[in-house]
Amino acid sequence: MAIGFGVALTPMNLLFCFLGSLVGTLVGVLPGLGPVGAVAFLLSLTFKMEPASAIIMLAGIYYGAMYGGSTTSILVNIPGETASVVTCLDGYRMARQGRAGAALGISAFGSFIAGTFGVIGLMFLAPLLGRAALSFGPAEYFALTLAGLTLVSYLTQGSMVKALIMAVLGLLAGTVGMDPISGEERFTYGTLTLRDGLGLVPVAMGLFGVAEILENLTVIATQSVYQAKIQGLLPNRKDWRDSAWPIARGSVLGFFLGILPGPGPVIASFVSYAMEKRLSRYPEKFGTGVIEGVAGPEAANNSATAGSFIPLLSLGIPTSAIMALFMGALMIHGIQPGPLFIAKYPELFWGFIASMYVGNAMLLVLNLPLIGIWVRLLKTPYVILFPLILLFCLIGVYSLNANVAEIIIMLAFGVLGFFLRRVGFEGAPFILAMVLGPIMETSLRQSLLISRGNFMIFINRPICAVLITLTAAFLIWPMFKRKRKGD
Amino acid sequence: MRRANITAALALAGLSIFLLFEAGRFNFGNLRVPQTGFFPKALVTLLLLLSLVLLVQALGQKEIERSSVKIAADGWNRIAATLATLIGFALVLEWLGFLLSTFLLMILLLRAIEAPKWSKVIIVALMTALISYGLFAWLLGVPLPAGVLGI
Repeated sequence: MAIGFGVALTPMNLLFCFLGSLVGTLVGVLPGLGPVGAVAFLLSLTFKMEPASAIIMLAGIYYGAMYGGSTTSILVNIPGETASVVTCLDGYRMARQGRAGAALGISAFGSFIAGTFGVIGLMFLAPLLGRAALSFGPAEYFALTLAGLTLVSYLTQGSMVKALIMAVLGLLAGTVGMDPISGEERFTYGTLTLRDGLGLVPVAMGLFGVAEILENLTVIATQSVYQAKIQGLLPNRKDWRDSAWPIARGSVLGFFLGILPGPGPVIASFVSYAMEKRLSRYPEKFGTGVIEGVAGPEAANNSATAGSFIPLLSLGIPTSAIMALFMGALMIHGIQPGPLFIAKYPELFWGFIASMYVGNAMLLVLNLPLIGIWVRLLKTPYVILFPLILLFCLIGVYSLNANVAEIIIMLAFGVLGFFLRRVGFEGAPFILAMVLGPIMETSLRQSLLISRGNFMIFINRPICAVLITLTAAFLIWPMFKRKRKGD
Repeated sequence: MRRANITAALALAGLSIFLLFEAGRFNFGNLRVPQTGFFPKALVTLLLLLSLVLLVQALGQKEIERSSVKIAADGWNRIAATLATLIGFALVLEWLGFLLSTFLLMILLLRAIEAPKWSKVIIVALMTALISYGLFAWLLGVPLPAGVLGI
């Protein structure tokens, strides 16, 4: 841990941690660009950085966005990103009752406490899981990626068939370029740009940046920021008493939900809200501005952020779109996340952990006193904001390889993402599958080579058997559910 | 939504049949020694099956209220104008250079999304071009195309 703070507290890394948190808060506050788009954009700027600085900054964006997202939920009833949708329910009502300060305060403190808890959990659990994963063979990896993708599709809101289709399309997109085993070219049609495969950054920025802006352009909404004066950012003693348990429960719950594949922070916040409502002595008051409804979910989404790093850092398997981008960031620097990651790059792992402590503290300072500035930023007219975001997307993609073709790829995926989303196909399973594709293909082919074409290899090994059973359960369960509903 | 689902399912089925032919060109190998074509072909088959499931589901669906709000004509206009501008930017970027392309991009985007006064458009576009050039080219050292202006 001492090494970690040694890395995290160098002036350069402190600066990057600060920048990441700042950009993250900004992204969380402003509608139109979520954390996935922002990480994709900044990914292209991390090439020349030290790997530690790069991942410290990108992580800052991720948890910064969780903090910032709550601000807009409370003040304007517009969630800056999906993980703070629930915060609107009670946070905005609190603001209307003149308690915006208490709501913002508890969400910042709750996020800080939960974020710190999550980091401690990550610190203990990741090395443990990493050691266990050393005994994993290709069959386990195949089963793990399969179970992960199925779970993500299961958890996606809306049709599971559509989510599975997106996952398969993503896997197919992952096969573009050179075959990971034999090196033969696939689906490149002789173009150089596609030889290394479809770029993660252009595709992610298209699906999550450009598509998002296009969606926002369909209706230009009039902006209204709640004009109440924000006073008393410190919650009073009763607020603290009411929030203590929701924050504690949210921290634990969020952390474990974060580890599971899928949009951890989003689900964690919803589950925490439901749980607090059920446990409350006055569930009927939820939705009218009770502080528990803000404290629990805000805590949960922040500790989930920390939890979601565990599968990536210890198993080398990203579990959400944003983790897929983190994996990309590490691999650009030639670092392969996985069971050996912590042993091979201790200063990187511990530096990253330490930076998350530092970052959480920075965010508390950034968010509370500066809330006035964030609110004023919200008033930036869309007509200026949207072109700027689009320009950043263009520069971000171009700066990767100075290749105009990649801009075209981004725009194509932007248009595709826009239409697909309108028909109910989500981008997250696609991008995740695209990154998992090569891992899945390699492990599947290696497994079959080992077993001489016998698929029983995925059932004879205990860990595989459990994962495959889970996968089957997630696939079959929705069919039964529908049947029961039909009766 | 029903019609949209049927269209999507048919389009996906069409895509998988096309890809089945494309993937057919790679060596499949066999289950003992799977080759390049093995994984893509398996995926395309799965995609075809899933799109058929979606089709069956959609055919059995009753037409209920639309889940996504219909886009008005001016919404489509904004989207089309924005996309045309973005594609234009990609095409002229290396020829005109970063500064000039960004200036034009901002003018067209600002006009495409809303139509503020020309003076405001020019000022915002000019400032964006200069500030973003300073930020990316000088501060972050991103190589940006110089183009006809030579900077």
